[in-house]
Order: sequence, then C-alpha cells, then structure tokens
Amino acid sequence: MFRLLSKKMRRWRPSSSDNQTQAKQNGSPKYLSQNLEGNLQILREALGQSSDVIIRDMKINSNSKADAAVIYIDGLVDRNLVNHDILQPLMFNLQVIKDNVKERHSSLIDYIKSSVLTVGQISDTKDIDTVISGVLLGNTAVLAEGVTQALLIDTKGWETRNIEEPSNEVSIRGPKDSFTETLRTNTALLRRRIRDPRLTFQSLQIGERSKTDVAVAYIKGITPDNLISEINQRLERIDTDAILDIGYIEQFIEDSPLSLFPTVGITQRPDVVAAKILEGRAAILVDGSPMALTMPFLFMEGFQNQEDYYARPFFSSSIRWLRLLGFILSIYLPGTFVSLTAFHPELFPTQLLVSVAAAREGIPFPVAVEALLMLSLFEILREAGLRMPRSLGPAVSIVGALVIGQAAVSAGLVGAPMVIVVATTAIASFLVVPYADAGALLRFIMTVVAGFLGLFGMVIIQLEILSNMAALRSLGVPYLSPVSPLNLCGLKDTFLRAPLWAMDSRPEFLDSPDKRRQSPGQMPRVPQTKPNKREGQ
Amino acid sequence: MKREKRIKIYVAILLTIMPGFLSGCWDSHELNTLSIVSGLGWDIDQDTGEVTLTYQSIIPSEIESSSSSNEGGGQKGGNPLRAIQLDQDTGASPYEVLSRYAQHASRIPFYEHTQVYIFGKDGVQRGIYPFLDTQARNPVSRPNALMVVSAEKTASDILGVQDGMENIQAFGMAAEIKLSATFSKFPAVTVLQFQNRLLSKTTAPIAPMVGIFEQTGREGKKTQKIRVVGTAVFKGDRMIGELNERESSGLLWAINEIKIGFVTIPEANLEIVKAKSKIVPELQGDQVKITIEIDQESNLVQYNGHQGITADLVQELEKGQAKEIESQVRAAVEKSFDLEADVFGFGDAVHRKYKKEWKELKPRWDDIYPCIEVVIKAKTHINEIGEINQALIKD
Repeated sequence: MFRLLSKKMRRWRPSSSDNQTQAKQNGSPKYLSQNLEGNLQILREALGQSSDVIIRDMKINSNSKADAAVIYIDGLVDRNLVNHDILQPLMFNLQVIKDNVKERHSSLIDYIKSSVLTVGQISDTKDIDTVISGVLLGNTAVLAEGVTQALLIDTKGWETRNIEEPSNEVSIRGPKDSFTETLRTNTALLRRRIRDPRLTFQSLQIGERSKTDVAVAYIKGITPDNLISEINQRLERIDTDAILDIGYIEQFIEDSPLSLFPTVGITQRPDVVAAKILEGRAAILVDGSPMALTMPFLFMEGFQNQEDYYARPFFSSSIRWLRLLGFILSIYLPGTFVSLTAFHPELFPTQLLVSVAAAREGIPFPVAVEALLMLSLFEILREAGLRMPRSLGPAVSIVGALVIGQAAVSAGLVGAPMVIVVATTAIASFLVVPYADAGALLRFIMTVVAGFLGLFGMVIIQLEILSNMAALRSLGVPYLSPVSPLNLCGLKDTFLRAPLWAMDSRPEFLDSPDKRRQSPGQMPRVPQTKPNKREGQ
Repeated sequence: MKREKRIKIYVAILLTIMPGFLSGCWDSHELNTLSIVSGLGWDIDQDTGEVTLTYQSIIPSEIESSSSSNEGGGQKGGNPLRAIQLDQDTGASPYEVLSRYAQHASRIPFYEHTQVYIFGKDGVQRGIYPFLDTQARNPVSRPNALMVVSAEKTASDILGVQDGMENIQAFGMAAEIKLSATFSKFPAVTVLQFQNRLLSKTTAPIAPMVGIFEQTGREGKKTQKIRVVGTAVFKGDRMIGELNERESSGLLWAINEIKIGFVTIPEANLEIVKAKSKIVPELQGDQVKITIEIDQESNLVQYNGHQGITADLVQELEKGQAKEIESQVRAAVEKSFDLEADVFGFGDAVHRKYKKEWKELKPRWDDIYPCIEVVIKAKTHINEIGEINQALIKD
C-alpha cells in the first residue's frame, strides 16, 4: 500500500530537468585577465556590495593604480593570520617583489607563493569562479597586476563553538565530548579515535546555494564497497537549495520515507559513530550540524546504547530488557488500559477491576476520550517544555504537574489510574530515545483503535506495523535483523549484550568484508601458575 | 511480475479486512455503565418452584471513599456493608429473572467477576439444573467461580452478613472457603469441578456449606460471622445430604486434596507437610474392592506427654496418626454408603482400570456402590519433632 502511495507521490513531483539546464548555462568558466582592476571589478560584482567582503589593494606609488590586491571575507578568516602572514610580508616586500620578478623574469605569483607568504596551504587558480567559491569558503585570494593567476590561501578561522558535553545523549562512563557545528572538528574527533590510515572521509558539496560540505566517513575494508557507492549515489542525487541541517540529508536519503520508523541513525557522540564505523557501517557528517548520521540503521540498534559496552555485561543486558519493556509499555499501555476498561473488563484481575471501577466512578468521559485527553496534554507539555524560552521551564512544569496530576483527578475529570498509565507511558517512552517520535504516534493510533475496537483492533494495527517493519530495509539490510531474518550470531548483541571478549566478529548481517574484530579466546582467566610449595615456612 | 505484485497487495488488503468479520464479544461497555456482581444467590421456593435471585453488586463509589480519602472513611465506617448492594427479584425461571434485572437497574449486570454462586438449602434440594444449564451455556460466567450451599434457609441470608476484613462480602466468603480448602478442612468447588463431577455420571458432586455463626464480642455485642460448616453432597443436581467436618476431612484425604493442615490425636498435634493418596480399585468377580493408599509426612508441633521423644515414641505417634486418618476416611466412606452417593469417584477409578467390565457395571453402580469393600491404608512419617526433644516438665 505504501508503495502505491509513493508511486503517486513520485508522479506529483515536478520534473527537475529544467532547473539543471539553467544551472549549466551559468556555469561556463571565466578566466582571470591580466588587468587587475578588471578582475577586481568582476569579483566585486560577483560577491556583491556586502560589507563583510574586504578587498585590500596595495600600491607601490601612491598615485598609480593598484599593483596587488588581497580579498577575503571578514569573519570567515583568521584575522591574525591574514594580517601577519599575508598582508605584512606582501606590503613590506612589494618593491622587492617587483624588482625580483623583473630580474629573474619569473612569474610574480609563483614568487609570492614560494618566497613571500609564510602560510601553510596555498593553491593557485586561473578560474574566477574558483576564486569566488574559495573566498566564500574562508580562503584569502591574492591577485596581482599583469598576472592571470590568483593565489588562494587557506586562512579559515571563524568563531566556533567549543566541544561540549553531549546534551541529548548523556554519557556516564564514556567519553564526554560531542560533535560541534564544524565539519573539520568533527572529522578530527573521529580521526583521534580511529588512527587507521584506512579511515576515509569522502567529501562532497551539496546545495545549490549553501554549498554545504558533506563527508562520508568509513573505514576501507570494513565497510562494504557497495554500501559506500549506494550512499554516494543517494547523496549525489540530492539537488536542492540548501542543506541547513543533517536532517535535510536524512530525509533525502532514507530508505522508506513513508514509514513511521527511522531507517537512518542519528547521534551527536563521536564514540558512537566510531563504534558504528568499526562495525562496518558508514557515517555522514555535515558541516553546520552537530550530529552525524549512521547507516544502515536497524530496529534493534535503537535499544543499544553505547554505554552498554562500557559497563559490565550483566547490568547492560538487563537494561536492554528494560528498554524493550519501556518501548512496549510506551506504545501499548494506554491502548491496553482503554481496551480492558471499555471492552474486556473480564481480563482485569478482580481486585484490580474493583479499584479501577472505583476510580472511574463519576468520570464524565468515555475511557478512550479520557486517555486521549491525557496523552494530548502530556504531548502539549512536552512540546512546550522543549520549545519555550528556557527561563519559563520551571513554571510550566509546575503547572503541568499540578494540572495533570492533582487538579484533574480531584476535579473528577480523569481517574487516578489513567494518570498513572499516562505518566508511566510518558516516562517509558524516553527510555528508547530513537523511537520516541514513532512511539508517540503509535501510542495515539493504538489508543484510538482501542477506543473503537478494543484489543482486537490493537492486534490488527499491530499486524500492520509488524508487516511494515518486516518489509523495511536500511541500505539493503532487513530492518528487523538479526531477529528476522534470524541471525544467531547477531543475537549476541541484541537482547543480551555478550561480554566484549565474546564478540569476536562484526555483525554478520552488515556483510563486512573483514569479518573478524578480534582474536577469539580472550576471556580473562586466573593465571595458571604452579602452586607454591612453601608450606614448611 | 507486476501482476503477482498486484495479487500480493490484494491478498494483503483482504487479510487485513477479513478479521473484521470475525465475530466475538467486542461491544464496548464502559466500566461506569456496569454493575459488577460479586456474588449471586439462588433460592427456589419449595412449593411453587419460583426462583428468587439475590444480586450482590459492588458500589464502586463507596470503595473509592474508603481507600483514597481517610476523612470520609472514618465516619462512614459504621456500616460495614456499604460497598455492596443487595438486590432481589423473583420469577418463574432463573433466566426470566436475569433478563428482568434490567427493568430495575441503572447498570448492566456484569457476571464475569462473580466469585460465588450460593444456593439456598431449600432450593438446592429441589434441584439446580436450570442454573447449571445457564452457567454452562453462557460465555459471560466464569467456570472458576465457587459453588456454595447455604446452611441457612436461603442464600440471601448469607449474602447479607458482613464477614471478615473484606469490604465486599462475596470476595471475603470466597477467600474463606479457599482458605478452608488450603487447610484441608472442606473442599472448595468451582463450577467447572462441579460440572466435571456431574458429567462422570457416577461421581456425586459436592460443594461446601456455609452457615452463619453468632459471636458474642466484648460488652455482650453480638456479631454475625460466616463459617464453612460442612460439605453438601449432591445426586445429580439435587442435594441429598451433608458431610460434617470430620467426614469432609476424610473425603479430602481420599481424593488427594490434602494440602496443608493438622492431624490431632490424643497425644499430640501434627502439621501435615506432604500428603498423597491413591484410589486403587480391584475387581474380584462381581465384588469391587477399593484400596485407598495414603502417604503422609508431618511435623510434630505439639506433644502432650512429659517424656523425651524417642524413636519408639515417634513410631507410636506415626501409628496413632495413621489410625486417626483412617478413621476419618472410614467415617466419610460410611456416610457416603448411607447416602448412596459416590463422592470419592470410585466409579471413575474402576472405569479407568477396567474399561471392558465397566460397561456392564455402570448401570448397576448405584446398587453395587454400598457393597464395595473399602480398605484404607495410611502410611505416615514424622519428619521433625521440633526444636526440643525433652519435655519441659518431666515426669
């Protein structure tokens, strides 16, 4: 059914071929001329009259025309670097440069590049568009009179946020750094964790206007090649104005955009990304987003937390079960309660039925309405708590707790059991963060259906959901693996978290070319020393 | 390929729609439109055969006030029966009364959680077949509800007596009956067990009997309590007699229903730890011989003598215990012969062992039954004698 829908959607999409041809017409290459003034004029026109574009020209004689010019965008460049290592040597040596060039008959720009500027990364170009895009990236361009080349000096140095503790995925035992908005910092965070030369960051630019840097991170020989090429294909297909956040990428490349469940993982912790890459997945980093996508993303990954691997296996395994329980509760609890009270009171244990009946006494709404009311109220409070100015937070939570908890019950609008059910559901839904969104929707669906059809309706919806999940794939890997299709080896890290020394191979269903992760038989043992025979002493 | 795909989609749609046509009791009844019937009393007029039903229903609002707010609970505490409502109606047949209930009730009666079906003594002697039929035919009533016979004249007498600590009387009564079965005093019989005994044709159904017991408390205040007083024995759907406490206990020994409990002999009291019994039938020509083998283990919890416990004494106590058990069972057997009711299921035991001969025996079973030779073999073992082995006051 979803396939039919997506087919129709595809038909509605306007064809994008017209836009592409226009773009290509604009893209005919323009080269720099010998006339500095002319070149500067073109650049001025291209970059506009923005106040942050700095064009600094330099003259030898005060009345003559400019001999050289430096162009950069204020704020994107490291000002110290530009002043001390570009402007200072250039201006101090301007006369020398000119003389030198005349004497040696070599190219002015080459001389500057090799003997004047004290900066690390310099490239030269003849193409005016390259100059423009370089300047927009935070590079500094140097142009000179009579030369058809320009130097692009890497002077990127804008204000960035520091690496901070992850705010969404709290780390208890693990490392406490998280990604920032700068792609370079993020790649460095990964590189610091994996010093393998085969760790590759494949970068490309996406976005007609934003020209956002996107990097695909993987380890050659661990991540399957076909997976990388598939990701690249999907990324190259994106043709849009701007990528403002990694979420744009996620929505353009995910496998099943019409399913409730995410097929792309998202995290803000570099150690999580490193672990996923080492398992044979690929990650996508986007400049300007403090998050990373990991693919393929399977259903069971939602129940795995990186902290599971840092703590000892017994507790981690039990926490896995707790998460599963939380997920199940968060989806089915309100629906089940509604079904039981409205359709199948015989399923309650007798004493519980009496208490529930006592609490429902005098409540003016049907139980389904009561449940939906409370669930909506909770969602309202949650959303308000997320979006409102932080200073208002405590006020809202007090009001919310009072309204939901006390007043509604004592006013007889809702029963106390319903408050318990909704509160339990709400807390439980945050146990499995990746599915908190999908869970909220499913919870509502279940409750509505339970209100009409009882448990019977819930079973039907459950069948629909399960069949949808079984049909999902994330980059070709079945969404429910290793549970379905069953992979016994993969189960080591699903409902249980096997000890690290027992997980010798990478997950089979990811089909990594390098299957082995570590050598087997590393279970720690008591050292086998001979017993001391010093009893006589 | 495309055609296959389309067929798949159609099949999927069909599969999702089809369950919708499955029938079932799915209709919605909000909890506050239901009146939960906790106990149902059946009385049948001896002369006219008219049926009187007594509904004991829960009043949910009263329950809430007692559990959630203490201020109100303290004042209202005067009437212990405030959480239940008793309602009565009379009609020609039980189902007529049931269907008429809607005329004078604000809520739909809800029988799924009914814990106790109680029958007036008078009515039960006339036969309760209409009840048994309705109960078995309707899906709403649960087979694990208890069957109880009122030792008083009517069932409604019992349903109106506050009992124990429960605020819903029928629940308290059910708990009391179950506890008496746990302590191996009287049987607790569910509707299902009753039906099973009925279906076997030779085995007589049984049910505990409940009576009102008057207690004189402090300041001469008289309070009524409910007690299990005996076991009613049925023949078909009619009650034909009853077993007293000792006979009931003997019955439980024979049918392997002893869980925990006590055996009292003149010298000591013993706590049952483990008990097992087996009915072994034997056919010798036309004579049926039944051996009841009982294996029991117990602990000594009270010794009335003044000597130290020795191995010989333990043996003596074991023998005394076995004798007491045997005499209890014997009492039950004698009573069942008197009533000509096979409460032990001897017929079924013979049937199981002698399938061919049973065909011929079955029609004559009522005649054969009182002539059965019953041998009771009790073997007992005392596991522990307690923390002391010397008497505190010695001879």
